[in-house]
Amino acid sequence: MVDQKEGLSTAESLRKTRSYGQVRCHNPSCMGRLQPQAGVNQVKCPACGMEYRVAWIKSGFPRIRGPVWDVNQRLAEEAFERKMKEERKDGPK
Amino acid sequence: MALNRKIAYIDLSTGKIEIRPIPIDVRRKFLGGRGLDAYLLYNHTKKGCDPLGPDNTLMVSGGILTATLASATARTHVMAKSPLGGLLGSCNMGGFFAPELAWAGFHHLVIKGKAEKPVYLWIHNGKIEIRDARGLWGKTTTETQWAIREELADEDIKSLVIGQAGENKVRIANVMTGIKNSGGRTGMGAVMGSKNLKAIAARGTMDIKIAYPKEALDYNKRFIDQITSAKVNQTQGALGTPFIWGATNSWGGVRCRNFQYNQELYCDEIEPEALDEVCAETMGPYHMAGCFGCQVHCRAKYKIPTGPYAGVYDEGPEYTSQGAFCGEPDCRSIETLLTGNHLVDQWGMDNLETGSLISWAMELYELGILTKKETDGLELTFSNDEALLEMTRRIAFREGWLGNALAEGGIIASEMIGKNSFDYLIQVKGVSNLHSDERATPALALNIATASRGSDHLRSRPAIDLYHLPVEVMRKIYSNPVPYDGPLSSEHTEYIGKPWQVFWHENCYMAVDCLGICKYHTVFLGATLPNFEDWTKVLRYNTGLEFTPREIWDIAERCNMIERLFNLREGLQREDLKKGDMLNHRYFDEPCRRGAPDVVGRVIDREKFKKMVDELYEYKGLDKNGIPKPETLKRLSLENEPAHLV
Repeated sequence: MVDQKEGLSTAESLRKTRSYGQVRCHNPSCMGRLQPQAGVNQVKCPACGMEYRVAWIKSGFPRIRGPVWDVNQRLAEEAFERKMKEERKDGPK
Repeated sequence: MALNRKIAYIDLSTGKIEIRPIPIDVRRKFLGGRGLDAYLLYNHTKKGCDPLGPDNTLMVSGGILTATLASATARTHVMAKSPLGGLLGSCNMGGFFAPELAWAGFHHLVIKGKAEKPVYLWIHNGKIEIRDARGLWGKTTTETQWAIREELADEDIKSLVIGQAGENKVRIANVMTGIKNSGGRTGMGAVMGSKNLKAIAARGTMDIKIAYPKEALDYNKRFIDQITSAKVNQTQGALGTPFIWGATNSWGGVRCRNFQYNQELYCDEIEPEALDEVCAETMGPYHMAGCFGCQVHCRAKYKIPTGPYAGVYDEGPEYTSQGAFCGEPDCRSIETLLTGNHLVDQWGMDNLETGSLISWAMELYELGILTKKETDGLELTFSNDEALLEMTRRIAFREGWLGNALAEGGIIASEMIGKNSFDYLIQVKGVSNLHSDERATPALALNIATASRGSDHLRSRPAIDLYHLPVEVMRKIYSNPVPYDGPLSSEHTEYIGKPWQVFWHENCYMAVDCLGICKYHTVFLGATLPNFEDWTKVLRYNTGLEFTPREIWDIAERCNMIERLFNLREGLQREDLKKGDMLNHRYFDEPCRRGAPDVVGRVIDREKFKKMVDELYEYKGLDKNGIPKPETLKRLSLENEPAHLV
């Protein structure tokens, strides 16, 4: 029998940090935790406005299937245009 | 016991076979698998040899834990000098071959020379025979495996084989086992083909004595619980690795149209859930399979639903097939994805390289650098599914001018094509980049630039950097087993602390490759998966060998340094675009145009990148040119190499 007193390894001790039922917003500056309601197929990040299609690995286990294309593509185009304008004004960062 | 598995030296030119034990002091220095293979490569391959000539030496191995009671020890490793970049060649695959090799008595094969005619090796309970393979030449990878089983009248034989691509010395040819387990990257299939070695067949019934069987089983239960309860592995078990491509595409981290875009738009049809539906429709609800001793089951079984190959069975496709047959060439057909995956499996060719090189050629065609003259009339445009599959076939069989050129790999092909074609080739050390775009992720950019076998995600990629982990969690992972109190950042668009993460993962991945464990069982995609501390126990209970976590780290560092020494000996120079730790200029000059708002506009900052490389070199004990300092070699007990311990 393995001596249970030998304690938890680093990996095991981090198990409590797992976040079942939640997904992260995919925008790097946001990465907010989103908790989709059971069974929904779309979720919007309240912080940055990105919208995602949601799929369910199993009950209580959502994952982001992909972007809501029209919404996120528009956000991307606006961000790109704004950044290129800033770069033209201020030079490359 | 596991430690009495042997090493066999096989000279295909002379037919001489020598079998030796693996000394325990060698085990303590290199463990086994990739680490020991690197040592063997360094000592048994002539400097500057032709990778496709008889002087190149081919290593085949399992890890030190292979076929024991430890989980997921299915990995087979193959190593030689690479015909793609002229540096380190190495591939690693799952399946069932390495355990069978271990039951047949061997952990390592060292294959030299070249057979006069096609041969295969038959390895059975401590014996090795070189057999005629002329009847196998020309067969696909699956046909070859079944022909060997028929010839030897044993359906349980497991074989490592090449397909037609390897026979044709296509420099992106794979070594394969099973229907889809692929030893990809760096063209090890071409090396087998150059030796007239069609296959290595193994069957064994030799017991492996476990040092502490009850403890090994009990600990493995604990290990399995940790692995199967991880979110990432539950997702893998449902969707396989395509979920990674889907998630990465969602935020704009994949390559599309060679390197023009970092996201494939409106590609719902080839997303993992869509793929899963086809698998369920054609194979039923229980369509996920696993490798030997693995509980993750990340491999989907499917039949091609439509088209000329309708009804044909295969497995996968993995992340790399999605990139190769969808994202990079900007195709959106599930039929193309499943068919392309099947064809490269059968011909034994690297899906990643195939998709990358064809997409590169598509961009060159778009730019007018390639014309219909070079494509022999083929309209090689993006989103042309038929052209994609046709060019795949031409590469495997070296047909047509461009098919033959791409079969030489990117660097030689760019020399054949000429003009400024090399500027558009997305590679490091001659190896095409994964279908990911690292412009928004400096840690991942550093990983691919400095990986020992060329651009690669399985050598040092800190993939968990994308999870925005709290710094205290990162601190716990990255300060063990070697103390680290330097900066760390949860932001994956940052440059802070990333060199240490890359260094940590480089040693972590080398350790699992020496043990023979799959990377899905360690801190690759999941922060809470086992690492150094856990392996000390697995090693002790299964083999009786005692190590501290720090000692396993030191072994991994030593093995990584051997790979570095090999690359330096074969011409690696820090900023050489063909043989160095350097990225294509597009990483620095062309901003991301798609994806999340904070991804668009990003490039890799050239100066910050250089500083990251400097810092990584410091951790590795290298000077500014990437050459190990004498004190580093002494610390790693490598100052007297080459020493030919085995």
